[in-house]
Amino acid sequence: MKDKLLYLLGIVAMLILVRDINVIARLPNEVNQGAIFKIIFFHVPVAITAMFAAAVALIASVLFLITRNFRYDALAVGVTEVGLAFLAANLVTGSIWGRIIWGQWWAWDARLTSALVCWILYAAYLMLRRAVEEPTQRATFAAVWSIFSFIDVPIVIFSIKWWRTQHPQPVFWGGGSIPHEWFAIAGWNLLAMVLLGTVLTVVRVRLEDAQRELDSLRRTAHAM
Amino acid sequence: MHLTQIPMLFAQMATPDDIVREAARLQRNYEFLSYGLTVAWLILVIYVLFLVSRGRKLKREIASLKSMLEDRR
Repeated sequence: MKDKLLYLLGIVAMLILVRDINVIARLPNEVNQGAIFKIIFFHVPVAITAMFAAAVALIASVLFLITRNFRYDALAVGVTEVGLAFLAANLVTGSIWGRIIWGQWWAWDARLTSALVCWILYAAYLMLRRAVEEPTQRATFAAVWSIFSFIDVPIVIFSIKWWRTQHPQPVFWGGGSIPHEWFAIAGWNLLAMVLLGTVLTVVRVRLEDAQRELDSLRRTAHAM
Repeated sequence: MHLTQIPMLFAQMATPDDIVREAARLQRNYEFLSYGLTVAWLILVIYVLFLVSRGRKLKREIASLKSMLEDRR
């Protein structure tokens, strides 16, 4: 991706976010929860972006196993790392929200636990990559681990439907009673998060390419 | 009823103690909202800084290895 396009996407994402923060600050407080409810405009979009990143990592991992093209491996690691940062933001904002509404930082219900397990699985993916030296073996192991980790993603998404959880049912796109104009704000924030995630992933993929170049130079130096 | 009408109705019915309690609750709500948003942005900023420093380190290492290989040739 060209540098100019990358900068443009980043600037557009930041502009949308700044505009949304301004709009969200002016919204009235929710009747029962008060101001803390506004955290939903970040909590939900970062969660959706993280799940989207996991789906892209799955596709890239499958494509790597089929084609053995290292570009897919670089995409998988890039999008996984970015998704992990978004999922961390989701867990932390959810915990802060829970402290006010539930009176506790954490509840071991199906949604929260499966999301935490998801975070640990993808963190383990990154640790696994550091543990294996040989590039092809590293990419293969990582791709298999990424596919295995994705099993948790539908569990995270549907846990609130499958089990009775302390985490509420979805208020956006799930039959909630949120005012219509709030959907648009959440939608714009989601777009901004996805754009931001895309920019960060491209930057991270470039770093992975540079790392591969460095590894190859090291092997050449070692052989000389 | 519009959402913004609720506090006005509440003010008409509540005792001074209730109003103080409600103000404290709102203050706490805003405090935690700001914590949440600050942490979310902090995670993003730390990650971006991490990417930038990693990129610089890789560039430095590639440049030094390339020059070393040139010297050997």
